[in-house]
Amino acid sequence: MKLLEIKNIYKNFSNKKVLHGINLDIENGEISSIFGYSGEGKSTLLKIICGIIKQDSGDIVLNEKNINNLEPYERSTTLVMDEPLLFPHMNVLENIAFGSKLRANKKRHTTSNKKALESPKEIMGLLGITGLEKRYPSEISMGQAQRVSLARALIVNPEIILMDEPFSNLDIISKTKVRKLIKEINCELKISILLVTHDIEDVINLSNKMFILNKGEIKDSGRPKDVLKKPSSIETAFLIGTENIFDGIISEIDKKNNIVKIRLKNEKPENIYIEADYYGTFKVNERIVFAIRPEEVMILREDRGASRSVRENHFTGKIISSVFTLRMMEILIKSESGLEFKALIPFHAYEVMHLFEGKTINISLKKSAIHIIEKKKR
Amino acid sequence: MRFNKNKIFNIIVYIISFLFFIALILLLSGIFFQTSPGLFIKELENVNLWNSIFLSFKISFIVILINLIIGIPIAYILSFHNSKISFILDSVSNLPLTTSPLVIGFAVLITMGPLNPVGKLFIDNGIKFVFTPQGIVLVQLIISFPFFVNIVKTSFDSINRNIIDLSKTLGADSFDILSKIILPLSYNGIMAGLAISWSRSMGEYAATQMISGVIPNVTETAPIEVFVKTSYGNYPAAIAIAGILMLVSMFSLGVFKYFSYKMKPK
Ligand SMILES: Nc1ncnc2c1ncn2[C@@H]1O[C@H](COP(=O)(O)OP(=O)(O)OP(=O)(O)O)[C@@H](O)[C@H]1O
Ligand SMILES: [Mg+2]
Repeated sequence: MKLLEIKNIYKNFSNKKVLHGINLDIENGEISSIFGYSGEGKSTLLKIICGIIKQDSGDIVLNEKNINNLEPYERSTTLVMDEPLLFPHMNVLENIAFGSKLRANKKRHTTSNKKALESPKEIMGLLGITGLEKRYPSEISMGQAQRVSLARALIVNPEIILMDEPFSNLDIISKTKVRKLIKEINCELKISILLVTHDIEDVINLSNKMFILNKGEIKDSGRPKDVLKKPSSIETAFLIGTENIFDGIISEIDKKNNIVKIRLKNEKPENIYIEADYYGTFKVNERIVFAIRPEEVMILREDRGASRSVRENHFTGKIISSVFTLRMMEILIKSESGLEFKALIPFHAYEVMHLFEGKTINISLKKSAIHIIEKKKR
Repeated sequence: MRFNKNKIFNIIVYIISFLFFIALILLLSGIFFQTSPGLFIKELENVNLWNSIFLSFKISFIVILINLIIGIPIAYILSFHNSKISFILDSVSNLPLTTSPLVIGFAVLITMGPLNPVGKLFIDNGIKFVFTPQGIVLVQLIISFPFFVNIVKTSFDSINRNIIDLSKTLGADSFDILSKIILPLSYNGIMAGLAISWSRSMGEYAATQMISGVIPNVTETAPIEVFVKTSYGNYPAAIAIAGILMLVSMFSLGVFKYFSYKMKPK
């Protein structure tokens, strides 16, 4: 069931175009996230949804009711920002209870299947901040304060909680805790959340659906896995950190076997081809780019030779660098034809295969892992 | 000790400030040296003196009450609404600061007089401002409210706008925001504003004199009494009242400093 529909929202700030016809739908009970560069208008969009600023045009529909003309206090949309913004003159308990004592919330009854939380104690227990009741905001840590801020938003039983980079000021440990909490809240209370973030990890770990906001429009949307695998444009690909992007020209389309052959742009005189699954509407001789995710670049084991399944798109190259990152080895391979591929492999695989910088190896790129992106027509 | 430019700078700054400070103390405390304790205490038994002081207290108390009622809405608009109206309101409400109090008193005297339609309207309805205590309240209000409004506005300005916005999404309407967030957070600023506008009103002379008509025991406030006594040559009486006024202003200065210190974010 659709909970929130944003329809064609436009917003300019004194001639600066910020939002440019935003359309998005949010399902009930899900965590959705908006991802985009800094200054793209993500916060502006959240503020428009909860009514703190007014859109120039467009509609906001919550539970099939147009809420354009409602004041923020009438909207049942609460906001959690990157700072906790606790009321400095109230202790933790008073901060949390703030919303529950207001007239606007007394007559509010929830329509959906959400589990309503009533007592501050219950919420504090859920968020692991029991015992802080009497403390003042200046006497608790940033991570605790952000959880208090979350509790304060939860107590009013909103239809949706809007979160504007709620982790950006937290250290890694608190960040992990708050992330987990948000997931738990969503599961237990079935409360819908719209999360703004510029950390792609948050998007992948938390959200059921993601939206990419770029140049004032929603460019891509869908399940994070799909969007990440198949960005619809080069801009999106760059935004979500897609690596291994190459230029090419469609040279052959074999519709019967569902294969498309791409000629790679490279420095060498001889042509290099790569095969991919055919989908979409490409034409022969069309210029395109394609991408392959580093974790899908397969390094072939010398002892086994190339087995049938990984016969596709073979390249021979040299490891020119290998870096140990948080969980994986990140290696850069330069092929004989001058192409550079980045690959991510587990550390133990790196050791088992006796890989080292300077070693010559064979790699294979599975057809299904190659994602073709149409080039913008000028 | 080597004198570098920074040291010389400090010495100059301190010498100028210190000399002025000494001169000020000597000037103001002079009145206490002109009288003997016996004479001072004898003057304190004078009923007229206490009448004028009580009148000043009463009037200034009413003035700050009205300040509280009109000053908070004005400060609210000035601080939270950015529009042409708030710009105009800001200029108008600060006008009394740059206008001579005598002129303000004179203007009220003329406007509220029987020859002016506004004054006539009030007089016909039985409300007199000329030569009455309510007239004094009116001029002192005009003179003291910019002080109150400016301090309260500064205090409102220092409230984090994001906190206000966020509380709206928690279900707070404008009434809730004013009573549960803005006012509690500006408590110190409001108290400091009350202290300064109160002492401004207690000490006001020129405008008050214009509208008061100097009627003993009715419109003779303490500062007017000081002038009247001086013009009769009754220095001991004038000194007694002036001394009390000075103690009062030291007290309200203390209150003001206390709250304006607390108002500063730590
Ligand atoms: N009140 C305002 N007046 C004028 N311009 C504004 C205002 N608020 C935001 N902007 C501009 O609108 C653009 C979008 O701002 P916004 O804060 O929504 O971006 P954002 O995507 O949230 O960025 P970030 O990731 O840095 O938080 C920015 O260029 C900003 O300068
Ligand atoms: Mg932002």
